[in-house]
This record gives sequence, structure tokens and C-alpha cells, in this order.
Amino acid sequence: MSSFDPKEITKIHQHLHSHLPSDPALRVKALETILVEKGMVKSENIDKWVEVYADDIGPKRGAYVVARAWVDPDFKARLLADGSKAVDEMGFAGPASGHLKAVENTPDSHNVVVCTLCSCYPFAILGMAPNWYKTAAYRSRVVREPRAVLAEFGVELSQDTAVHVWDSTAELRYLVIPERPAGTEGMSQDELAKLVTRNSMIGTDRDLKIGGA
Amino acid sequence: MDGIHDLGGKLGYGPVDVNEPEEPFHADYEGRMWAMSRTARAPGVTIDWWRHVRELITAEDYLNRPYFDSWAQTTIASMIDAGVFNIEELESGISQTQPLGHVEIMDYDGVLKQNTGMAFKFDRLVEEPAEFVVGQSVLTNAKGHSGHTRLPEYARAKVGVITHYRGAHVFADDGAKGLENAQHLYTVSFKATELWGDTANPNDSVSLELWESYLAAS
Repeated sequence: MSSFDPKEITKIHQHLHSHLPSDPALRVKALETILVEKGMVKSENIDKWVEVYADDIGPKRGAYVVARAWVDPDFKARLLADGSKAVDEMGFAGPASGHLKAVENTPDSHNVVVCTLCSCYPFAILGMAPNWYKTAAYRSRVVREPRAVLAEFGVELSQDTAVHVWDSTAELRYLVIPERPAGTEGMSQDELAKLVTRNSMIGTDRDLKIGGA
Repeated sequence: MDGIHDLGGKLGYGPVDVNEPEEPFHADYEGRMWAMSRTARAPGVTIDWWRHVRELITAEDYLNRPYFDSWAQTTIASMIDAGVFNIEELESGISQTQPLGHVEIMDYDGVLKQNTGMAFKFDRLVEEPAEFVVGQSVLTNAKGHSGHTRLPEYARAKVGVITHYRGAHVFADDGAKGLENAQHLYTVSFKATELWGDTANPNDSVSLELWESYLAAS
């Protein structure tokens, strides 16, 4: 049973520091080996999990959600009212989609998402978080100087465009709905989904381009 | 806990690497660590305790070692703490006990289904009425505490406005002690100028989810 004692954990961390191999791949391998021995995981299932997150679960799921919101006003209303239910309806429920909030960009406002305290991310619809999202650089700066961080991503905003930063401090996760680009009126939902970039759903991309990013 | 993890607003970091290749995993071990973190849990572990164990990694390692390495260290530490295995077993790869569980081999669709079942809910019913209402101005606590908490340092002793009521959610500070207590949860919006001073853009804001005990009427 977990001790819930931080002092115990500090001791264990220090102990591990001198006992674990330095290479992260070897550390993970050691963990997998002992968990297999203990009957707690099967390596075959880990292989499958990696496949599922490489092939099926990733930002293309979020892109379908956004594209549908663009073409289906009733769905968009449901998505804005209860993101978890709307995503579940599309068969996209999964880790961190239990409390999902969609926030919409407008010509006058821009949304950007962060988790300053750890690395919370809506895995079920965006897949694995990019490494930059989890770095000290992004987490420290995007709350304090969002415009400077956005500029590094190539997003230049006028001083009049309001920037709303969402710091994921509880179990709510955020999905940014970027604006639908002009000139896409005749496009199908599948074609529209291809325009939606991962970063636009985090908020570090804004003006989506026809013909890809 | 005023630890290294509480990074919001801290100066001296950056720039952001915007040229990172867009791929699910940059190394095989990342995917394997992700999969293990979804499917193997130490007895009694809560999401909040797991986060706290990660926060307790030494500052040097927290900042400098690769991200999924910190997940490995966190999971290993929480499993040693819970008695799933000891360091000797980890080093040798040989279990000194009978298997603790039995896992069936799954196919691709089985994993997809398992994944779908992981949309966990953290809202709970509570009897006490919510103390605050949407539109109300609130002041956040000035002080943190030594344990796990989700009120970051940059948002302490600040005035914000409640924009949404989220229902009562499992309280993270208690969750890290293995206790399940729910408290009313609100989204609170702070003007960037309130957080960072007059040099911030007056149009900008930062919103956080905050539990009722982090807040007072202002």
C-alpha cells in the first residue's frame, strides 16, 4: 500500500539516484522487466498500446472534432456545452477526456493551453503531448508572456486581440477550436480535418492554411 | 509544495523549441513508459499522489532529465514505496515473490477498448452548497503548504473573477494523502495585469481551476 509519506519518497528518490542506470531506456526496461515478472504487465500489451497511440489515437481525432464543429452547428453547441459527452459521442473517449472543455477562438480573441504544475494534456483526442509542452520554458513563460511564446511559434497577434491562457490545474482538459479558414466553404469534413494542426488545438498555432501547415 | 515543478511565471527559461518533429514518440522507451503508466498501478496510488511523487524528484533531475524518464522514476518510486517490488528486484529483474497479478494478452481492439474506458470522472456529489457564484470576485490564499497543492505560486494572493462553476471535484491536496474528499471547483479568471503588473497587456487573462478552500470572497 502507498505510504503517502513525502519523506519516504524523498529517501527512495535519493536511493534510486545511485542505483538506477543513467540511460532512460535502461530504466524503463528495468521497470518493464520486473513488472512482467510480477505479473502486472504483459510486454505484448505494451507493444499494442504503443501501436494504438502511433496509429489511431493522436491529433487527427481532435481535428475531426474541430472539423465537425465547423460544419455541424448542433454538434458545436453540444461540444461547447459538454466537451466530454461530445467527444464520447464520436467514439473518442479515453485518458483525460472525462472533463473536457472546448474554447473557441474568435477574430478578437485567442486561446492557449498549458499545465504549469505538471503536464496535463487531453491524450484521448490529441495523443501524446509534444515535448515542448512539458518543458520548463513553455510552462514558465506562456502564462507570463504568452505573446512572446506565440511569436516564437510564428503567431503574431495585434495588441487588441485578447489572449486567454488556460492553466490546467484540476482534472479539466482544454481543446482550442481554431477559426475555420476563409475559402473552405465547399470542403468536406474529412478535407477540413486535414487543415487542423495539433498546435492549433493547443493554441500555439492560429491561422490555418489551405493545403496544410 | 513550493518546489521546482511550480514553474508558472518563473523567469530564466526559454526559448521554446518550436522545431521539434511532430511524432507520437521520439524514442521507443517513451511509448513503453506511457503504456505502463496507463496499465500498471501501485496499490492505493491516486493521480494526486503520483503527481506529488514526481514533484519530489530532485530539482536538478526534474529540470534536466528527459520527460518520460521522470515518469519512470515516479512510477518506480511509487511502486517501491507501495511494496510492489524492492530495489534489489528492480536491479536483478528477478522477482522474490509469487506473481502479484495476472494480465491477459490483448489484441489491438482490446487495447482501444481499454483506452476508451479510461475517461475517468473526478466530480462527486457533496451536500454543502457552493460558497461562490459565477461573476463573483475572489481572493486566492496567500500561502501554500508543504504537501501537494494545485494553487500555483503565481496565482496566490490575487484577485480574480469566477467564470464557471464545475461542480464538486476530488480535492487534489487530500488526494495526494490517499483521501477522497470533494470540494466545489471553480474556473477563476485573472487579468494579466493583476498577475504580472502594468507591463502586461490589459486585454489578456489567465484562467485556472481552483477549489473552494483556495478562495475567499473579496
